[in-house]
Amino acid sequence: MKRLLTLISLMALAASAFAQPFVWPDAWSNATPGEAVRGGELRISLIGDPRTFNPVTSAESQALSDYLFTNGAAVLIMRGPDSDEWLPYGASSFTASEDGMTVDVTVRDGMKWSDGSPITAQDYYIRYVLETDPDVGSNGYDSWFMGDDQITVERVGDNGLRFHFPRPDRLAFPVVAVAPVPDAIFGEAYRSGGAEAVKALWGTDVDVSTTVWSNAFVPATFQPGERIILQRNPYFGEWNVDSAGNALPYLDSYSMTIAGDLDSALNLYLAGDIDQFSPRNLDDIGVINNAVNNGDIDVTVMESVSPVASSQFIVWNWNKASDPDKQALFRNANFRRAMAHVMDRDAIIDLVYNGAGIPMYTNVYPINDYWVNHDVEKYPYDPEKAAELMASIGYDRKNADGLLINAEGKTASFILATNAGNTAREQIAAIFADAAREIGVDAQVQAIDFNLLVDQLLSEGEDRPFDAILIGLTGGSRDWPFGVNVIPCATNLHMYNTSDACLTAQETLMGQLFNVGRETLDTEAARDIGYEIQATEADLLPILYAVSPMAHYSWSSALRGYHNEGQINPLLGAYELPLVFMAR
Amino acid sequence: MFVYIVKRLFQLIPTFIGATMLMFLISQLVPGDFFKAKELEPNVRPETIQRMRAEFGLDKPVYVQYVNWMKNLVTGNLGQSFVSNQPVWARIARPMRNSMYLAMLSIVLLWLVSIPAGVYSAVRQYSFGDQAVSVISYLGLATPNFFLAQVIILTLFLVRTLTKDWFGFNQLIFPVAGMTSSNYLTMNAWGQFWDVMWHMFIPSLVVATSGMAGFTRVLRAQMIEYLGSDFIRTARAKGVGHGKVTYKHALRPAIIPFVAGIGNLLPSLVGGAGLVEVVMSWPGITPTFLAALQSQDIYVVLGLLVITTLLLMVGNLISDLLLAAVDPRIRYN
Repeated sequence: MKRLLTLISLMALAASAFAQPFVWPDAWSNATPGEAVRGGELRISLIGDPRTFNPVTSAESQALSDYLFTNGAAVLIMRGPDSDEWLPYGASSFTASEDGMTVDVTVRDGMKWSDGSPITAQDYYIRYVLETDPDVGSNGYDSWFMGDDQITVERVGDNGLRFHFPRPDRLAFPVVAVAPVPDAIFGEAYRSGGAEAVKALWGTDVDVSTTVWSNAFVPATFQPGERIILQRNPYFGEWNVDSAGNALPYLDSYSMTIAGDLDSALNLYLAGDIDQFSPRNLDDIGVINNAVNNGDIDVTVMESVSPVASSQFIVWNWNKASDPDKQALFRNANFRRAMAHVMDRDAIIDLVYNGAGIPMYTNVYPINDYWVNHDVEKYPYDPEKAAELMASIGYDRKNADGLLINAEGKTASFILATNAGNTAREQIAAIFADAAREIGVDAQVQAIDFNLLVDQLLSEGEDRPFDAILIGLTGGSRDWPFGVNVIPCATNLHMYNTSDACLTAQETLMGQLFNVGRETLDTEAARDIGYEIQATEADLLPILYAVSPMAHYSWSSALRGYHNEGQINPLLGAYELPLVFMAR
Repeated sequence: MFVYIVKRLFQLIPTFIGATMLMFLISQLVPGDFFKAKELEPNVRPETIQRMRAEFGLDKPVYVQYVNWMKNLVTGNLGQSFVSNQPVWARIARPMRNSMYLAMLSIVLLWLVSIPAGVYSAVRQYSFGDQAVSVISYLGLATPNFFLAQVIILTLFLVRTLTKDWFGFNQLIFPVAGMTSSNYLTMNAWGQFWDVMWHMFIPSLVVATSGMAGFTRVLRAQMIEYLGSDFIRTARAKGVGHGKVTYKHALRPAIIPFVAGIGNLLPSLVGGAGLVEVVMSWPGITPTFLAALQSQDIYVVLGLLVITTLLLMVGNLISDLLLAAVDPRIRYN
């Protein structure tokens, strides 16, 4: 796999794309331009109605919003599935300064909105203006900050933009990958009516055919609760072509049926009403395969393609002043190591995910394999070793109930909470608790309301109201996959210790490494720092990672133009929409 | 009668205020709020979430939030949805309409099937037909709607496999999800009407089955009671035909409780058809309500509850008035 070029090398590269229009590489599709067939429709499902059509205030992440507002829009720079290298897209060229503090972008000529008007540098600049106004309430607001310091953008000439960063930052390029919004509509509203006028634009009651987009497909009709149909943008092909020079996209339309939930989406897929479905588990795959074997539907199934982009872990509460015994136990690294030795990841993979899972040992999701330090201490399932470690901290005898006790007769017991309704997590908690009980540690599983769980997890101070929580996190970056609110002490997702200060040298070290790593522009050097963060965390073991389930895909056999093998996963997606076509 | 109606309407005011207070209080007892899930996003700063809460007034004390909500309510404003940043009414009007379609067809199906079945059971008491109606009724009563819907979906897929094998016809005879076909917008008005009816048939049939059991059994009991009464015997003695005795003399009084209950159908018209809507992906009020509950879009939840409460109160009043209209023995003063 090609690795992300360092920012320094990018600076030297001064990547450019003077040729107009943008040529979509053959390597991004499993079909060649010669095989492509024009026309047809790709039909997918949505779980719920879009919440807004306003790209500035949208806070959701589902197929439509991801496509319309970010992935499918004329972002200044983007990455393909075959490389981590950033390419100019809405930009014709971009250059990063040697100190990594500025990025200069030249906006591509010849781009057009779906109403035929030109896309200009002002359309990108106004997005920055709107998103950085707190009164607008944009979900992108925080992305314009490094800590408390704001990233700024200035207009340079007619078609130039300059991004200023307060410090060198590995996460700079995702910030530059900004999508335009039509200044003639959003900018005009902002200048005449302020933030409120912007917020009032393009709600779900808008006539979508009047909205303006830079995407390959643009909303034509919207029936709330039923479907949204996007038609080919007639101007997209003027600046987007395949390697043979053919205008893109190939398809005529892209429709999304609002299914309500994944069970209904599966029914629609089995009925042949949609062309694509992401099976949640092997049960779904079994149902689909059954329909295929019956000859009811003709689809391709890709099982266990890659791990999902999320984590699952157990975290113990270090701030339990009201119960000093438990606090001392949870703060003891050997206790946590003992608990790691009773985490039977293989059993979880077999019993919970029917074999479709992968063990997790560090905070980096297995899908981000480049960044995963595979050499960290893993503490494999070993109940005997766990018992030895418990004995080493004084729990060396058992009471009449078979529970380990220390010299004072105290048992090693705690409540392991997880969110009710998440059956996978409930099962993981039960498997873990059973294994802990085998060595005499009493882990009582409690399934509680999700919000209550989050309240407990994010509570602050010296005395927090939980023992241990099994939960997961999503989100993160391919460029620096460590959470800014997770690793450093005194941040809100530094879940094991939310007192004001670091309690251990390892926490302090991880915080320092996080800051150094984020500002290290050389990717390999940053990865080494990331490795050190993971090794340090594995030594301290404040968080016990469990298992990452696998992602599965399925789509109609008539569809072509998907990513090549090895380039399909939840981070890269399954296809580049302009290159997808209906083979028959 | 007029004085009675005015009196009842005035009595509704404290009931309504009490209901809203209770609803609001219960909604506040739920841990967390709409923005809670955002706190688990590694790159969202706490001050941003604080700002969002302040924007929707969630940082204010509960009683202030209640007073503000009530102030809006008396002006007909149900509040603002956190999810879509739209007025609540705009968010719920369409799902309400869709649920109303479903409820109306299921009521028609319910009456169309239950009245003849109830009459038949009463007239042919203990016959095989009566026993069959009873068994089917109890099955309908005992089978949860969401389960029946899933069974029917499975059956539709099974039928497709059979029709494909036997006739080469690889299509579902009824849709398994949704309210319209993908080409709905290209159809003419008549085509659109039939398309919705085609999608609506299975879910409304499922909804109707649960009501059929009760309706049929009660009607049967009512009919048996009336068919054994003196005025029926007199009518028969005077030579009135069997059909006329059954359908005019016995059915009319027997059906009074159902006519009087029409008012109570009001809230169920917009209250949603329950989990059938979820299972069959019907874009009605139940999925909207559940989604709002799940995301703690609290003003949408409260808006729906307020409307249902209002309709329940008005429906009760209408029922009482209808009862007086159809049953001369009842008078209000």
